Amino acid sequence: MNEFTIFNVSASGMTAQRFRLDIIASNIANSETTRTERGEPYRRRIPIFAEYFVDKNKTSAVKVVRIEEDPSPFRLVYDPSHPDAGEDGYVRFPNVNVLREMVDLISAQRAYEANVSAFNVTKSMINSALQIGRG
Amino acid sequence: MFNTNFQILKVGMDVAMLRQSVHTQNIANAETMGYRRKYVVFEEMLKEASKLQLATTHEKHLPSVRSLPRPKIEVDKQAFYRNDLNGVDIDYEVTQMVANGLKYEVLARLMSKNIEYYNTVLRGV
Repeated sequence: MNEFTIFNVSASGMTAQRFRLDIIASNIANSETTRTERGEPYRRRIPIFAEYFVDKNKTSAVKVVRIEEDPSPFRLVYDPSHPDAGEDGYVRFPNVNVLREMVDLISAQRAYEANVSAFNVTKSMINSALQIGRG
Repeated sequence: MFNTNFQILKVGMDVAMLRQSVHTQNIANAETMGYRRKYVVFEEMLKEASKLQLATTHEKHLPSVRSLPRPKIEVDKQAFYRNDLNGVDIDYEVTQMVANGLKYEVLARLMSKNIEYYNTVLRGV
């Protein structure tokens, strides 16, 4: 194991969480989008994380393998005056629950911070090793 | 010339660094579906290894060579903290990591002290 691969592991964690933050931001931004290029309302997106090995000693970092869409049904709101209302007067809104996104947002932020503190501990360990023999 | 302190301290520091690596991996994968927590086994093996000392019943017997065990990384298959079968408890992981980092610093300081003693002797007191 190389001491410096630990930094890469922390960095991969930070990257993954920041990416998740981006996805959450786009979910919140599109929480009322009833029209997309595909002709249906916006679908909530979820990043899928996977473990991957950075060296032959099976040191595992994390990466985002793909973004999946939430298959749950759209939110139906009765509003016949809406331009996107169907024949029955219901408008299909995205399946984004802003409250849930906020919870995920905080969880992503905390996970990011945990990766930062892991990085800092590794840094101070290497610094203390460098101080050996300096009296 | 050097006593065994250096060897033991070095192994201790290596184990602490390995442990840091494992904590970092667990924290990075704290939200990965199906990830199982890893941990380092060393102290128990050290205890086992130090039990098996050969007795020296004659003054010309050579002492048995104490070989230090190599630390092992194990995967915890039991613990689940979340519905997606992830086994990482992030609070536990962070606190253990900080404690381990401090332990490493203590070992590094002990190493410095040992070197200082030799310096004192070499300088002619």
